[in-house]
Amino acid sequence: MKRVISIVLIASMLFTVTALSGCEKNEELQKFSNYYFDYFDTATTIVGYEKTKEDFDANCEEITTLLNEYHRLFTIYNRYEGLNNLVTINDVNNGKHDIVTVDKKIIDMLVFAKEMYSKTYGNVNVAMGSVLKIWHIYRNEGLDDPVNAELPPMEKLIEASKHTDIDDLIIDTENNTVFIQDPDMTLDVGAIAKGYAVEQIAKHLEEKGVTGYILNVGGNVRTIGMANGDKWQVGIENPDTENKEKPYIEFLKVAGESIVTSGSYQRFYYVDGKSYHHIIDPNTLMPGTKYRSVSVLTNDSGLGDALSTALFLMSYEDGKKLVESTENVEAMWVMNDGEQLYSDGFEAYTFEYTPQK
Amino acid sequence: MKNNNSQKNRKLRNDIILAVAIIFIAAAGLLLFVLNREAGSTVSVKIDGKQTASYPLSENIEVPIITGENDEHINILTIKDGKASISEADCPDKICVETRPVSFVGETVVCLPHKLVIEITNDNADGGLDVAV
Repeated sequence: MKRVISIVLIASMLFTVTALSGCEKNEELQKFSNYYFDYFDTATTIVGYEKTKEDFDANCEEITTLLNEYHRLFTIYNRYEGLNNLVTINDVNNGKHDIVTVDKKIIDMLVFAKEMYSKTYGNVNVAMGSVLKIWHIYRNEGLDDPVNAELPPMEKLIEASKHTDIDDLIIDTENNTVFIQDPDMTLDVGAIAKGYAVEQIAKHLEEKGVTGYILNVGGNVRTIGMANGDKWQVGIENPDTENKEKPYIEFLKVAGESIVTSGSYQRFYYVDGKSYHHIIDPNTLMPGTKYRSVSVLTNDSGLGDALSTALFLMSYEDGKKLVESTENVEAMWVMNDGEQLYSDGFEAYTFEYTPQK
Repeated sequence: MKNNNSQKNRKLRNDIILAVAIIFIAAAGLLLFVLNREAGSTVSVKIDGKQTASYPLSENIEVPIITGENDEHINILTIKDGKASISEADCPDKICVETRPVSFVGETVVCLPHKLVIEITNDNADGGLDVAV
């Protein structure tokens, strides 16, 4: 009889070991994800670990409420009744811009934009609206009618570039007003607003004690805390989208950091069989051609967004100097021949990944 | 004495049979668990954030996915050789069609104009990608 009991005990232990072998994490937490399409003209993914879907949805509700607020303030395309946003600032009445009173969130973002202008030696310039608008129009027309796609005429771009002096953007931080002195100048915050908004929301969540989340707004990724006891596993996509054998060029483990990639493969159109992407060099007024992509790893998604654009346009030497002189920033450059160059600390985050099928 | 011995022997035999049976059941359970764990990934179809369908990644199929308020839009989901992709779509930018086929847990194909996401999921797999950029 004793023997029978011991055999049963051993067998039940075997069962227990079997059942537990898949779940060495906090069993109470499950991974959830939600998708949204209404903010910053891109797809938003929220990933999070919670005990229940209800808990996760409640946090998503709060995140998307904030995303919607930032989207409405920072958009340069949409007007909303009773709301002064970037469109209002860009408006011209009787040949000049108005002095516009705006939400503190816009003031803070534009102050940050001016900081980024200095930091990136003018490579990130939110005052380039006039130039970027021309590219935007030609790209959209080219996508609608690929056969007749055209490049913007250089004379047009040069004329527009005369109205891109960021010092003409007057920010009054005491009265929360914004005024553009040059009537022909407009703002385009596409290179920083998304990352800035994501960072503000992430900080808000961190202050509330939220952990175990990823905010991914159109490739602007910000992790919040760890993933249920482990670091998050991030795949950096191969900018050579034709290479079907190698979908990823690097895998990173992060916890709390942000990753942003700027690449020539992201938003583009074809003219005579050649692709022209959306990251415009303020010096040449043409899309940057130095790299396939640049990925930036930082603890600040706003800085990451700005730096990924700037590094994509700067020479590797200058860019590397900028990265090394900035705290908590690492970068990976993918050259046009596919070679990958790294800042000194980048490879500390990489790991060998075995795909899970 | 003799009787006692044969009783002992029978007991031992019964014990052995029981042990073999229990170990067999436990092993079968383990095998089932392992098989189930590696049963393979699922291709989840989400429209405007809500899951509308899912298909095993192991099956070779082609299915139309209808989207839009009046069912006016279409994407064709193709699952072939363990990879999922959008093979055709009537969206303006065709970014979903140009996205390379996905197979890893956590990978997605997104069609922004149609608010459509194809996602590789696997409830049993640990250590999949959390995000791809």
